[in-house]
Amino acid sequence: MPTLTLSFKDNTIAKYRIEKGQSLTIGRKESNDIPIENLAVSGHHAKIDSVGDGFLLTDLQSKNGSFVNKALVSSHWLKEGDNILIGKHTLIFSYDEGEERPPEGVGEMEQTMIMDTDKYRDMLAQAMPKAAAAPEAKEAVGVLSYLAGGEGEIKLTKKLTKIGKSPASDIVVGGLMMGATAATISKRPQGYSLSYVGGMTKPKVNGETVKESVNLKEFDVIEIGSLKLQFVSEKQ
Amino acid sequence: MVVIESAGITDVGKKRTGNEDALYLDDDLKLYLVADGMGGHLAGEVASGLVVNTIRDYMKRFQKEGNVEEMDDPDETLSKEANRLLSSINLANKGVHEVAQSNENYRGMGATISAAFFTDDTLIVANVGDSPVYLVHDGGIELLSVTHNVISEQMAINPEAAKKLDHRFRHMLTRAMGIEETVQADVCEIQYFDGDVLTISSDGLSDKVSPEEILDVVKRERPEKACQTLVNLANERGGDDNITVIVLKIRTEDEKGGIMGLISRIMSPFKKIFN
Repeated sequence: MPTLTLSFKDNTIAKYRIEKGQSLTIGRKESNDIPIENLAVSGHHAKIDSVGDGFLLTDLQSKNGSFVNKALVSSHWLKEGDNILIGKHTLIFSYDEGEERPPEGVGEMEQTMIMDTDKYRDMLAQAMPKAAAAPEAKEAVGVLSYLAGGEGEIKLTKKLTKIGKSPASDIVVGGLMMGATAATISKRPQGYSLSYVGGMTKPKVNGETVKESVNLKEFDVIEIGSLKLQFVSEKQ
Repeated sequence: MVVIESAGITDVGKKRTGNEDALYLDDDLKLYLVADGMGGHLAGEVASGLVVNTIRDYMKRFQKEGNVEEMDDPDETLSKEANRLLSSINLANKGVHEVAQSNENYRGMGATISAAFFTDDTLIVANVGDSPVYLVHDGGIELLSVTHNVISEQMAINPEAAKKLDHRFRHMLTRAMGIEETVQADVCEIQYFDGDVLTISSDGLSDKVSPEEILDVVKRERPEKACQTLVNLANERGGDDNITVIVLKIRTEDEKGGIMGLISRIMSPFKKIFN
């Protein structure tokens, strides 16, 4: 397992071991795994996580920053001999002799890896306190309000909402020229879109006939036969 | 009736010794898959292979035996076909997870999956991980998959803070197949149109080639040539990872315009009676 050697002005103060699956925190407060008593060091300054085969140093948005080999870093994959500067103290990262090391350039080669979900949340909570504290991004849900042909509103919770003459449609609309499924509304990663599917009656959005598909914007007015609906998206 | 002109290739790239990507194309079933495996030794290949084969077998069984069984707990927001694809992904996840748990050599292995499945009138795209699925429609290109990595997830919450994250966070997945007992795939179901093009690739391509470049290539070239052009481009730019790409050109046969189309549409209910 690798060792972190803490020193101040060429004097070795302590040595810390980090194992696979383990995390170490660095900071001025006593509660840290590697406490450094110095005013240049933030209370919770940085941490080192074991991720996959490698070890990742993350600066916890410290006041004076963390440096590896004299370069300011926000996060850094540790390599043999790396010199980490925290305030005026240095930590040298080194593997044991003959110890198995991660394949050449883990991280540097941009190897894809999977974060242990809890560990990742934890790590982000410290790396980006504001972001992690904020609730997860809420998905906007589209809502159609009837302007004609019905009453109330329809929440577009389905990935694909079907509009047409068929009784199996989510929104049933009659008419001689109406297709069994005249149009559909899809919920895509980028938002909602309306597509024409079949039948003589083509849908219109803001008065324009839809031949294939259009992305729906806030307050767009959709007309299909006798049906008139307005689209809005609500943050849940 | 939809006809799909399909092509797909996988390439080891310039830096890796093994290929951990897997792909599957089936014009009959209209099912197309790309999985990007990860994990030491041969585990990545095992994971991606297992994911692709499980989904293939599950979907084939449905094709052969019809609607033999419905899911116990279907997702109400999805169509029957989308639910079917989703259960195949859940099953594949479970399979990889079990193998990973029971075999020391495979512990911690995982894979991404991106799947496209065509029904008679819709296209269903489902994914876990960061293998992108792009739709080219009407001269534009749109990402249909949801990227499950740290950067994308944080960008959705707090773009400013996310920009400060080290670029290497980009390759850290927040979801993958086989890591946990259950997995939540993102699904989208849309209408497709004549001339649409769909691409499914591993990040070995998307890291090196921009969506605009992909758009440019697939507009110009037939699927088979487009695949080769894209892989070559990624290799010329370093080929750091395995590169896999599937290109699908969608043709709908009943496209009839003008007065003849109108007549045939009006007549179509009668044709059934006369036949």
